[in-house]
Amino acid sequence: MNRLGGLMMVWCGLVVSVCPCHGGEPASVQQMAAAAARKVVKIYGAGGVRGLEAYQSGILVSSEGRIVTVMSTVLDSEGIDCVLDDGRRFEATLVGVDPRRELAVLSIQAADLPAFALAAEPRVTPGTRILAVSNLFGVAVGDERASVQRGVVAAVVPLEARRGAAEAPYTGDVYVLDCTTNNPGSPGGAVVDSRGTLIGMLGKELRSSASGIWLNYALPADELTRGCDAIVTGTIAEVTKTPAPPLDLRRLGIVLVPDLLDRTPPFVDTVLPDSPAARAGLRPDDLVIAVGTRSVTSRDAMQRAVGGIAPGDPVRISVIRSGAVVECDVGPRPHDREAP
Amino acid sequence: MSLGERIPGIAPTSAWPRCHEGVVCMTAFVVAMILAMPLAAASEPTLAEEAAFRTAVDRVAAAVVRIEPAGGSKAALAAAAEAAVASGPSTGLVVDPAGLILATAFAVPDDVGEVVVTLPGGTRLAAVPRGRDRTRGIVLLETGPIPGAVAVEPVPRRNLEPGQWTIALGRAWTVSEPSVAVGVLSAVNRGWGIAVQTDASVSPMNYGGPLIDIAGRVIGILAPLPADTAGMKLGTELYDAGIGFAVPLEDLLHDLPRLKAGESLGPGLLGIGYRGRDTINGAPVIGSVRQGSPAAGAGLRAGDRIVALNGRPTTRIADVRHGIVPLHAGDSVAIDVERAETAGELQRLSVKATLVESLPPWRRAVLGLTAPSSEDEQAPLRVAWVMPEGPAARAGLRVGDAVDSMSAIGADAQPPMTSPSAPAVAGFTAGLEPGQTVRLSIARDGEPMQIEAALAAMPTEVPDEGPPSEQGGGDPLAGPVDAVTVVRLEGVDVGEPPVAVMPRSGRQPLAVLLWCGPPHGAVAEAEATPWKAAVAESGVAVILPGSTDPRQWSRDDIPAVLRSLQSLAARRAIDPARVAVAGADAGGTFAWLVAERLGAMCRGVAVLDAPLPRQVGIDRAEPGTARWILMGAATEPMQRRLDGDRKRLERAGYPVGSLAAPTGDGPPAAILCRWASLLGLL
Repeated sequence: MNRLGGLMMVWCGLVVSVCPCHGGEPASVQQMAAAAARKVVKIYGAGGVRGLEAYQSGILVSSEGRIVTVMSTVLDSEGIDCVLDDGRRFEATLVGVDPRRELAVLSIQAADLPAFALAAEPRVTPGTRILAVSNLFGVAVGDERASVQRGVVAAVVPLEARRGAAEAPYTGDVYVLDCTTNNPGSPGGAVVDSRGTLIGMLGKELRSSASGIWLNYALPADELTRGCDAIVTGTIAEVTKTPAPPLDLRRLGIVLVPDLLDRTPPFVDTVLPDSPAARAGLRPDDLVIAVGTRSVTSRDAMQRAVGGIAPGDPVRISVIRSGAVVECDVGPRPHDREAP
Repeated sequence: MSLGERIPGIAPTSAWPRCHEGVVCMTAFVVAMILAMPLAAASEPTLAEEAAFRTAVDRVAAAVVRIEPAGGSKAALAAAAEAAVASGPSTGLVVDPAGLILATAFAVPDDVGEVVVTLPGGTRLAAVPRGRDRTRGIVLLETGPIPGAVAVEPVPRRNLEPGQWTIALGRAWTVSEPSVAVGVLSAVNRGWGIAVQTDASVSPMNYGGPLIDIAGRVIGILAPLPADTAGMKLGTELYDAGIGFAVPLEDLLHDLPRLKAGESLGPGLLGIGYRGRDTINGAPVIGSVRQGSPAAGAGLRAGDRIVALNGRPTTRIADVRHGIVPLHAGDSVAIDVERAETAGELQRLSVKATLVESLPPWRRAVLGLTAPSSEDEQAPLRVAWVMPEGPAARAGLRVGDAVDSMSAIGADAQPPMTSPSAPAVAGFTAGLEPGQTVRLSIARDGEPMQIEAALAAMPTEVPDEGPPSEQGGGDPLAGPVDAVTVVRLEGVDVGEPPVAVMPRSGRQPLAVLLWCGPPHGAVAEAEATPWKAAVAESGVAVILPGSTDPRQWSRDDIPAVLRSLQSLAARRAIDPARVAVAGADAGGTFAWLVAERLGAMCRGVAVLDAPLPRQVGIDRAEPGTARWILMGAATEPMQRRLDGDRKRLERAGYPVGSLAAPTGDGPPAAILCRWASLLGLL
């Protein structure tokens, strides 16, 4: 993209985002919904072969046809079609993808489009009212406007989620929404606050790893902006999977009870003499309940939690002993090749 | 909303222009332009509501804590597997900063001895479960003093109105901030009066958290409650269905002293059964009174109509349930009844009864006869078949005898009945025990006769002889193929359409047997062949469902099985007192799950080589929903497991008989059809 294009895009995007309502009159929810829906596009592409949905939503982020959406099989296609709010259909080209955030940027040849200003908005807090605008279930066709749902931001949490057995690559913060957005067609839809500001983009269908429930969530605007920026400037970092290096708990001086059950509780069996655990005051029969801020309820979970601490970072283990919580600072997590 | 508040977010961190000087200048220009232009914002009511939500949340947030069983809970895992959710953290509400927290039994099942409580600031405390409200699924946890906790204010129930704002809070997502879900109050009197309903999302992440009003007062504790009409046992299935429940805090605070004392508050039993089959809209007329029950002690009798409970008028059975379900065992209840005196006049009586936690298991007592239809409430009973060696046979009752009246000797609670229908006789004997004597006036060929018979316990073993089919049946060699028809229950739009074998003709409602064989995908019509002779002989309809996955039965197959019953009912009337489920091996395990889903509609379960699945609960045997169980095992270890199940079922009051493994490959068709045809035994 050339420099002028970039300038125009930012300029027009911002102007368009404020245009419908300048003059200071408060907008009704209806006006805001309409303004947001004009900037949401219906995307049709590949898929549908194995029962996968061949449609999703996208957000116009420049008046010249830049669209941000989720990276998905829908885009694995020779021809990706984008249908605007006014019914015009454009073939889109894929500008690039951010595999970690599962974002994609598309481009269509058009001008003077209504668009959101993409900006690193500060995070909103739980309780913030939102409108979610997307083509859920593909019900909007042609010049029909995307669907509007209302709700609130329920929580701001790191994404720990799964799609089938696969872990979601993005583990940064998301907005969990109190709004049923976990639907086919919703991914890529816009989430705006009571000021009409774009605060996030609806994510893909995922289940929470912690609770197994389906998640209604959105990628916050700042992450969206960073991802788009990286795609457009070609500075996408490779997804580097760095599996937490396993750490033998014996290196800390902890021997847990044998793993006999499906999820054996992490009871301490033995504390090795003169070990970090012994110095920290850990004792046999202590029940480990947390490593740092992470709760653990099984041997496996404890192993993973300690494994997830970077070498050199402090290890704090919380245990229950005689009906009271005791915190034990075990010192830094050893480096993997260090002698115990 | 002034623009100045928005600027810090845009200018320094905007990602687009970061790399180009010119763009930065341009951005500054744009920002300046925006500064000059007021930004659109929602109108005042929207923003005012949003601000009100936040203020309300802030008022109680410090009392909302995270709850996790220390070391996890096996029961929680099992419950989670059942509901297809994982067992993660849950939420609790501090009701006394001195150290009392309410949470749900979902998060803290019975097998949990210690609980980790995480406060908003991240501090962890150990807690122990004290009392439980088993009706509402609520647990009281006790800790030491809780630093920073605030006292919460309950909303009086009488002030609640559907449509008002509700906010559901949890602390399972993050410790630092409560999660917020907003909705309205959907209803104020759910689950027979124990809960209110909301459309705010209620899930395992906020079970135990408060549902608050817009002023920040606590309406109730969010909890999974089963929607028993939907066949759901746990309530967790509803997490994304736009329906959630909260137990009113006012009710829980009322019982707080008992919970604090460590009491386990359970449902209270009165010991009555109702006359008539409509257990919701039917008139609250007592059909049976359990001997030794609070109802019997209070002098209630079959035939009494309950007209008021604790001073509130009752016109339907549902009204009575609304009055009793919220009470606990040990609570006293005032009951007003109308009783028809001999002169036909109504007498109004007021009695008091103290509800009890348990009654001795109810044992079904029978005369040993069947009626043409066990459900017809209009027709006076005519004997269709007499069980050999049963009380009716020994007393000389015969097929065709019409029962004019019936009375019990030495049972005050069961006044005499005239022209009793089959369901009325079932209700009458439900209030009696095996060994008690009944006196029958019958008409035989127009001649009146008096007969006395001592009731026997419901047989456990299937008799060698059963009621014949309507066509006479009996002799399979006489052409069973003509007497039965094999159909595919098309229109079953979930899973594989099952095959049904049923009598070709007949007017009487059919007994139905669902047979779940080893899983192998769709059922071929040829698989009906081994059943034809038994169907011809007994007149029972047999449904053979298929599994969606050829390797296993799954819960997902249950809807198709239920649909197949409806599909059969659309063709021929079904006798609801004679619906049974049976299966072998994996099919037997599946049969238990189907039976659980069918609930009161399933009157018999027969399994071969299949133990009772752990997640299936055993409700105590009750009149009107009584089941007859058959079990059989081919191997010694399986026999030992089934012996354990048998003891459990017998303790709950069920007759448990044996089912011999068939010689050869076929299903035990003859005995199962005979058993199904006898489920309505009177």
